[in-house]
Amino acid sequence: MGRVSRLLVLGLALLPLASAAEDSVLLATTTSVRDSGLLDALLPGFTQETGIRVRVVAVGTGAVLRMGAEGNADLLLTHAPTAEEELVASGAVSKRTPFMENHFVIAGAPEDLAGVADAASPEDAFRRIASRPAPYVSRGDDSGTHKREVALLKAAGLEPESGWMGFATTGAGMGVTLQVAGERKAYTLSDIGTFLAFREVTGLVALSKAASSLRNVYALLRVSPERFPRVRAEAAERLEAFFLERSTQERIKSFGRERFGRSLFRPLRLE
Amino acid sequence: MNELSPILVLEVTVRTLAVCGLALAASLVIGLPIGVWLGRRRFRGRVLGVSLVNSGMGAPPVVVGLLVSMLFWRSGPFGFLEWMYTPTAMVIAQVVIALPLVVGITLAAVGALDEDWELQARTLGIPPLYRAWLLLREIRLGVLAAVIAALGGILSEVGAVLAVGGNLAGETRVLTTAILMYTQMGEFELALAMASVLLGLTLVLAGALTVVQQGGRS
Repeated sequence: MGRVSRLLVLGLALLPLASAAEDSVLLATTTSVRDSGLLDALLPGFTQETGIRVRVVAVGTGAVLRMGAEGNADLLLTHAPTAEEELVASGAVSKRTPFMENHFVIAGAPEDLAGVADAASPEDAFRRIASRPAPYVSRGDDSGTHKREVALLKAAGLEPESGWMGFATTGAGMGVTLQVAGERKAYTLSDIGTFLAFREVTGLVALSKAASSLRNVYALLRVSPERFPRVRAEAAERLEAFFLERSTQERIKSFGRERFGRSLFRPLRLE
Repeated sequence: MNELSPILVLEVTVRTLAVCGLALAASLVIGLPIGVWLGRRRFRGRVLGVSLVNSGMGAPPVVVGLLVSMLFWRSGPFGFLEWMYTPTAMVIAQVVIALPLVVGITLAAVGALDEDWELQARTLGIPPLYRAWLLLREIRLGVLAAVIAALGGILSEVGAVLAVGGNLAGETRVLTTAILMYTQMGEFELALAMASVLLGLTLVLAGALTVVQQGGRS
């Protein structure tokens, strides 16, 4: 019995050593970014170039921001500008750098009974949906997408809390929310990447036109090494620099064309 | 974007077996002696002890995941160990979940034993360690039930393992977390492929244990 337990303790102790030995950086990002596949395409190049391993943890936006606020990650990649700026103001994040963007879409059944496709603006679209009232599915999970939805509803003069008849909340990720909307032939607000990935299975179509209030900006946030000494600041800086360099920005520009026939993101740091 | 690569599936499967195997072994090594002890000894507060074990069997894994995370985050009391997002943390979380199962089932099996068994064995002059071995053999059916239950719980665990492991590619990704991820992404074929591997594994392992358990009977 003694030998077995000793072996077990040794095994347990060695397991983390395998990961701590090399140089690594902990990147916290949202599930929608992970799901787009962009990081799978870009990060191997970074590791090859620098020898630094990127450990990507993908959780909900709220959890990513919380990790940043408590120093539990080295670099954040999120798309919730207001909350991000609060993190900078609080000192938990030392630098915020927007580096790419795309647009949210209001998706719905092809029948489009509320006439969203004819709406003058996203705010007008929400008013049309609410006044019909047409079924709508919300994530309701404080994600970047959900926060934008709340902002749009407020701008449209609608109360985000009360909703309308047919307004449902999943509290779950974008994929699940899109699938529920597909089942109910309801409208929903989605990031373009997940929408495209689920387009076939849901039967939904993109109805909104691009507008500035649908703009979705992605930023890199460096967690403050002054406040959190355990942050791997150098590795985080190098990873951030990688996302901003020309060749990466070019790759971001073309990402998605193979799978979806169109780019998923627009780089912000290309002149 | 994601092709069905056999190497990918193999890598994740090997890690699943390693992490789950270690967690199962640890749960048994720790849990069997405790279960035997709780099953045999009569002492004040025994009912409380057994109640705690039984409640532990029903403890939601997602809660275990949250609590273990809070211990191992950098901001947590054991953050200095840097065990967050490593297989070590996953094994620990799985042991916490499986331990009550092992203890609970074992103590029930021991409790079903004839009260005089212990007395007889001692009267025969059998040394303590050999007595313990004979006891385990006597409750073989119950012990194997505990092993099978723990194995099932550990192999199917996703919430806690995701929370403390982070589903890191090449480091902490196992079959369950991979299936969840691919499902969320809409990659249903990939998710189903991994699900088949997991179900196959479970069938083979549980089947083998059942054969041992039932050994001799038909």
